[in-house]
Amino acid sequence: MKILAPILALLLFTQAILAQEIDDGDKLLNRPAERNYDVILESGYLKVGVYQNFPPYSYQVDGEPKGIDVELGRRIAREMGVEFKVHWIVPDENLGDDLRNNVWKGHYLAKRRLADVMLRVPYDKTYAYMQDSTGEYINEQVVLFGPYQQETWQIAFDPARLDSVETVAVFQYHPIGVEIDTLPDFYLTSAFAGRMREKVRYYGNVAEAFGAMRSGEVSAVMGMRAEIDHELSKPENAQFKAASNGFPGIGKQVWDVGMAIKHTHRQLGYALEAIVDRLVRSGEMNELMSGQQLRYSVPGYYRDFLDEASLARAEGRH
Amino acid sequence: MRTNKFGIRIAASALAMAVSYGAHAVTDDEIINDHKSPEDVVSYGMGTQGQRYSPVADLNTSNVQYLQPAWAFSFGSEKMRGQESQPLVKDGVMYVTASYSRMYAIDARTGEELWQYDARLPDGIMPCCDVVNRGAAIYGDKVIFGTLDAKLVALNKETGKPVWIKKVADYQAGYAITAAPMIVKGKVITGVSGGEFGIVGKVEAYDANTGDLVWTRPTVEGHMGYVYKDGKKIENGISGGKAGVTWPGEMWKNGGAATWLGGTYDPDTDSLFFGTGNPAPWNSHLRPGDNLFSSSRLAIDPDDGSIKWHFQTTPNDGWDYDGVNELISFDYEENGKIVKAAATADRNGFFYVLNRENGDFIRGFPFVDKITWAEGLDPDTGRPIYTEGGRPGNPADMDGSKGETVLAQPAFLGGKNWMPMAYSQQTELFYVPSNEWAMDIWNEPVSYKKGAAFLGAGFTIKPVNDDYIGVLRAMDPKTGEEVWRYENTAPLWGGVMTTAGGLVFTGTPEGHLKAFDAKTGEELYRFNTGSGVVGTPITWTMDGEQYVSVASGWGGAVPLWGGEVAKVVKNFNQGGMVWTFKLPKDRIASK
Repeated sequence: MKILAPILALLLFTQAILAQEIDDGDKLLNRPAERNYDVILESGYLKVGVYQNFPPYSYQVDGEPKGIDVELGRRIAREMGVEFKVHWIVPDENLGDDLRNNVWKGHYLAKRRLADVMLRVPYDKTYAYMQDSTGEYINEQVVLFGPYQQETWQIAFDPARLDSVETVAVFQYHPIGVEIDTLPDFYLTSAFAGRMREKVRYYGNVAEAFGAMRSGEVSAVMGMRAEIDHELSKPENAQFKAASNGFPGIGKQVWDVGMAIKHTHRQLGYALEAIVDRLVRSGEMNELMSGQQLRYSVPGYYRDFLDEASLARAEGRH
Repeated sequence: MRTNKFGIRIAASALAMAVSYGAHAVTDDEIINDHKSPEDVVSYGMGTQGQRYSPVADLNTSNVQYLQPAWAFSFGSEKMRGQESQPLVKDGVMYVTASYSRMYAIDARTGEELWQYDARLPDGIMPCCDVVNRGAAIYGDKVIFGTLDAKLVALNKETGKPVWIKKVADYQAGYAITAAPMIVKGKVITGVSGGEFGIVGKVEAYDANTGDLVWTRPTVEGHMGYVYKDGKKIENGISGGKAGVTWPGEMWKNGGAATWLGGTYDPDTDSLFFGTGNPAPWNSHLRPGDNLFSSSRLAIDPDDGSIKWHFQTTPNDGWDYDGVNELISFDYEENGKIVKAAATADRNGFFYVLNRENGDFIRGFPFVDKITWAEGLDPDTGRPIYTEGGRPGNPADMDGSKGETVLAQPAFLGGKNWMPMAYSQQTELFYVPSNEWAMDIWNEPVSYKKGAAFLGAGFTIKPVNDDYIGVLRAMDPKTGEEVWRYENTAPLWGGVMTTAGGLVFTGTPEGHLKAFDAKTGEELYRFNTGSGVVGTPITWTMDGEQYVSVASGWGGAVPLWGGEVAKVVKNFNQGGMVWTFKLPKDRIASK
């Protein structure tokens, strides 16, 4: 035992070191430790990747992380018995870039910056199993799992300028604001042979577009439903209304949103999946959303097998 | 001997003094006459017209085999990736930039470092296209370069200490600087790089001594240009006259047209020549119209930033054919008259010869073996005649399927990319570093961005031939004839230089610095630098000997893309060096 004790101590010590990230002396080149499930538990924290400046999903108020993805991350960490740590994601040109930069490889300017899990990742089997021209699976380095919300498109309008939005055809005549380089941008600029194109106004984000609606530059704003609901819940936007029009011609009317981990960390994935599955089914996910005045739709994934009563519970319809 | 620490320090500072002795302020005259002064290189382009032609013939076709390495210098640290820099040399000191916005001053005789400057880059910076830097400008007692966080940094050329640092654009909005700035009449002229985040390209002039902004010129129609006088910002006309002429709706507000490769300057016509990038958004069906001044060359007044003329190579671009490639001024004789011309080899595969006094199209011809997207150029205007079905489909028309795949040649990385070509006054030929590749473009059936459904295009880049991608070509600008070609297995990504010694120099991703016979294309010299060469060579004379230098270090945009091309380059190792060669005195044939 006398001989074994130092070895045991050394083993414990080594484990503590493993839980830390590896610092090889140059910030740019440090590689993260393989933060698998055991290492995460050992380290006492979970690094949750969420998009920066992206209300109502993830943003900061006075330096404090806020938003439904942040709240979900906190809830998951609490259930795992570890501390929540936020990993802000600067969005790149598409989801594949974000997964590479934040989940499996790291950005080449900050290879050490990886999240243990990334949220707000669309859960779509077609996307997950997409192949490139040589037959390789494009997203084989990650696992997409754990859908927790269904997202969709929404228009808000100013009733002082528009009686209603029966169809998007009114935007041949009334200016509408969108976030630049998003699907609402492309849709309104190109749909119906570009007949609404002249009336589209481009902004850096949905909040700026609402600012333009308050100053009378635009009569309406199109964005994701949660983004629009979030703006509508603000006192300065109380005069605006949510429209109930359809979006003919948009291929993706609704989509599920879930999580992503590195493919070698499936054990972590199973643990996270179990936690999120419970939050969805119990209605806690709905409470999390409705607590921030956001409508909640259960992911399409659950609609395939949950009965009506279970769905009603999950969506808080009593 | 081991107590010699102080001795070394004294020796080093004595060296620094010896080097700075005789060093003097670089003047506008020296910069304008750079192409005539073999003892230094004080401009990007070895002359502001960008010809990259040296009048020195000491090193020539008969003795180039005796060219030997004089010294090599490592940029150090584990930071590597693409070294696309062109060094400058003044008073026995080399100033060279490296990846990650670094700059070095090196004793040009011995290869010893005099100082190093590392720009402090902010966390979370996301430059779109690798971490390269293409070179510096030199003026007075300063060397000036651009950084990945879109700043201009002026350093004291003796000490490497910053004199002024100016923010040119906001890196958080997607801007960066990778091109070498240039000096014209005491002003630092720079463009900006930017991705697809709704940026607007611009060219700006700063006072080289103080860093104060002198004028700004947006490169998208509808945006106001300004001059700055006595602290006041004065309107100087809207680019293109007014908004919305060649853009639908309000799309001009975020039109792209980034000026990411810098420019050239022609003293004869007193014009800056800048190229512009592709228009935003990438989907051309969203923006019917020519979308000025995207994918164009602009002649700009260096005094106030006014646009004198423009020539658009790819109107309503739908293939990512940036129009940034350098426009090189040259004169030629035709029917007894001197023509003041300028030439450019565009990403779109066509070589253009323009009248540099007014931007008129003189002639144009393909410089690559095949062009699919256009059948040719209008002989009067130079406007492309589009091939039917050659434009990628509109993703908005898609119904959940992949849609039709369009094959386009050249690929989006271009018949020629950023790497500068050279013009020989001796052979009157342009030496064009080009690539033969094609791309498939289709509409992605599923695409997401920032947590939301999106409409994206998929594409893959592929070689056209089994055994080579890169082609160094000698092109006759008067006839469009390809006089000779050299085929290279990997894509060519380094710049070219030519000399009165009848030589053409360039580097290859395989790692070689190569010299060719300018008349025949025969390979006369090669030296393995240890990593891929994607920099641009220079030559100068010092102590009666002719030197050649080139940066070595594989990287740039090619390895960032996958597909078939990646298979050709995936085993190339990164690096970060400057190699300097010289022809020993006794090898120069008596004159």
